[in-house]
Amino acid sequence: MARYRVAYRQDGPARWVGHLDIMRAFARAARRARLPLAYSRGFNPRPRMSFAAPLPVGMQGGQEYVDLELEEALPVEEVVHRLRETMPPGLQVLRVRRVPSDSPALMGILDRVRYVCRGSLGSHLTLAEIEERLASFLAKGEILVVRRTGEKPRDIRPGIKSITARVDNGTISLVMELKAGSHGNVRPEEVLHALCEIMPIDPASFTIARTALIAKDGKLLWDC
Amino acid sequence: MVNIEHLLPRVERPARYVGGELNAIVKDWDKVKIKIAFAFPDAYEVGMSHLGLHILYRIVNERPDALMERVFAPWPDMEGLMRQEGIPLFSLESRRPLHDFDVVAFTLQYELSYANVVNMLDLAGLPLSAGERNGRVPLIIAGGPCALNPEPLADFIDVFFIGEGEEVIHEFIDCFIAAREQGLGRRDLLLKLAAIPGAYVPALYRVTYRDDGSISSITPVDGAVPPRVQRRLVQDLDTVPFPTRPVVPYLSPVHDRAVLEVFRGCTRGCRFCQAGMIYRPVRERDPKTLLSLAEDLLRHTGYDEISLASLSTVDYSRLRELIGALDARYRQDRVSISLPSLRVDAFAVDIARTIQEVRKSTLTFAPEAGTQRLRNVINKQATEEDLLQAVEAAFKAGWLRVKLYFMIGLPTETDEDVEEIATLARKVLEVGKRCGVPRGRLSVAVSVASFVPKAHTPFQWEPQAPMEVLTARQALLKRRLRGPGLVYHWHDTRMSFLEAVFARGDRRLGAVLRQAQARGCRFDGWQEQFRYEAWLDAFSAAGVRPETYAYRRFDYGEILPWEHIDSGVSKAFLAMEHTRALRGEITVDCRGGVCTGCGVCPALEVEPRVGVGSGGPV
Repeated sequence: MARYRVAYRQDGPARWVGHLDIMRAFARAARRARLPLAYSRGFNPRPRMSFAAPLPVGMQGGQEYVDLELEEALPVEEVVHRLRETMPPGLQVLRVRRVPSDSPALMGILDRVRYVCRGSLGSHLTLAEIEERLASFLAKGEILVVRRTGEKPRDIRPGIKSITARVDNGTISLVMELKAGSHGNVRPEEVLHALCEIMPIDPASFTIARTALIAKDGKLLWDC
Repeated sequence: MVNIEHLLPRVERPARYVGGELNAIVKDWDKVKIKIAFAFPDAYEVGMSHLGLHILYRIVNERPDALMERVFAPWPDMEGLMRQEGIPLFSLESRRPLHDFDVVAFTLQYELSYANVVNMLDLAGLPLSAGERNGRVPLIIAGGPCALNPEPLADFIDVFFIGEGEEVIHEFIDCFIAAREQGLGRRDLLLKLAAIPGAYVPALYRVTYRDDGSISSITPVDGAVPPRVQRRLVQDLDTVPFPTRPVVPYLSPVHDRAVLEVFRGCTRGCRFCQAGMIYRPVRERDPKTLLSLAEDLLRHTGYDEISLASLSTVDYSRLRELIGALDARYRQDRVSISLPSLRVDAFAVDIARTIQEVRKSTLTFAPEAGTQRLRNVINKQATEEDLLQAVEAAFKAGWLRVKLYFMIGLPTETDEDVEEIATLARKVLEVGKRCGVPRGRLSVAVSVASFVPKAHTPFQWEPQAPMEVLTARQALLKRRLRGPGLVYHWHDTRMSFLEAVFARGDRRLGAVLRQAQARGCRFDGWQEQFRYEAWLDAFSAAGVRPETYAYRRFDYGEILPWEHIDSGVSKAFLAMEHTRALRGEITVDCRGGVCTGCGVCPALEVEPRVGVGSGGPV
């Protein structure tokens, strides 16, 4: 058995594809590539693939990861080459590396995610003004959001690791690092909604890209 | 290009609308002479399971002078947003509005998708009536099994193509391009197209009616237009292209597997079955062809399941050889083989056993009727003994669940025939118990459809059973099929009624479809979308009584709405089959070599192709 970490980009029409369908697309690409995928045991054997985190429908994935297990070791260049030939449009293999078979599961080590949210700014504000507002936003003790109506409000402040901004000709780019995983997960849309109160933005018009998946120690999952 | 990005976060399953799948083909718009949109009048997931789409998509896109893109019926949530924003219906590949295409080609698979056809024209902003479309407005064409009775859609469609499309599509494209280059007007184009064998231009036929509403004549309006349109078919399937690079959807379609069409046609002769009449004769592919197609198909798709598709696949004369060879080649690649349905006998179960060793979920059989008398009437040549042997073999081989398909409302049916459906299901359950299938896991599911008389079948003259009779018999079955291990499913009788109306309908139903579309009827085959009240309003607004289509017995001598459409199977044969049905006489399958005289071979100059290819190992 040999384990390979595949970094890929998910973009274009494939942004609108749900996670289960992406999993199936990978399995099929690997079959077309004639990679000797390892399968789980049992009545319903499944290819041994593990993804870092499902990409929300509609979001662009700049650097996503999946670990594939193969029955036999192949040179990394061979795996890259074969997968690139067979990936469906919208899923682009960036790089592949062999990882030790006992390295921890991607999903287990994911701590936070970097997002780039881009949208238009309703009125003219300088970068300095925006930064000032962001600083006071982050200085708050708690930021309460309601995910679904009727649910009790949740404090997302502890899950916001950082927010930085860039402004260019009426367009604002917000780079956020937010807590991910089963405990304290914060969604970029929630932060945008909260930011509405301090700056003139329309969250619905933002495009959101997930650009980095990061472990507790600050390393990209790629390097873990 | 249409911009829909901002709508996508607001709809269910946005992947339905974005294209970009593996093997999708986006050609250079400006480098072709004809641009065709293949329009499937149902949801993406249904349409992408349709083999005909993949066949035509490949054939057209292989031509350097033509392109084909896909469009499906948008789900009501998407339609609502599109109408709100004034976004016209668009193709997946280039996201262009349909009115940019030269041709929009609908496939007609199911009567209850007709409202979607009309709605898609409306969403595309195209004039609904063929007569209102001039100049460069796309030509609207249609094909598929329902085109064998094209009349209910006659108002909306410029040209129907009757029968198989592989060859006629080229003749159509050539003719269209030539006409464009000559600068022909729409009327002249239609006249040219009407001369292609298999092409039916409804506007070039005049239908007159008697006072009682029946048809008195169907006549071409121009001497150059043929009085009858003959069905097209492919003589030798080994010679036509097969889509070995089908589009592989991201979004799981209804049938998410590779499809290998083993043969076309079925001559078992079930008298209710339209497919069994309109795809005649049987034409098998050579197993060698099939193996090479399977190889390409699996390599280009990555599917882990291959379905051997045909009307009754177990009838393929070299099935064991084919399955043996596929299994030997692909077992190590974990490719499983599946059959869409099983013949009711132990041989079929044995075949199923060889291809399904690990996961034994459900086996499906279609005895269709509860008594031997009624099975003889419909010419379903399976006995109770066949069924009990088949299920015994299945249970012994480890299957736990059996699904049985039946029909109610068949001609001559009585309550006793219906009671016997329940009795038969209980016998099957007993066999399961006797074979030691654990209680609690043993399940016999009975699925009951209502008989719908279809054009070009021996039962085309028969009325549908009244809705009250059907619902009473459904209730009867519901009472009889209570108890552990039994599951009962039935179909909405109101849907079956509408199916019958459109299956036997004529062009006066065009007004009803218009009314139904305006009243919001969509996706009528989907229970949660079906709005029967709106349909009833549509009928009354159009001044049409649906009962006259569903419930009237047609006379043998009467001119049927599809009289001018020639399936190749003679009306005399259908009438003879009908009288034999009423006498309970069976008719054999001509696969065995005995011709039953249906007329298709001489009429269409074709011969059955059974057991083709060399006898050696495949």
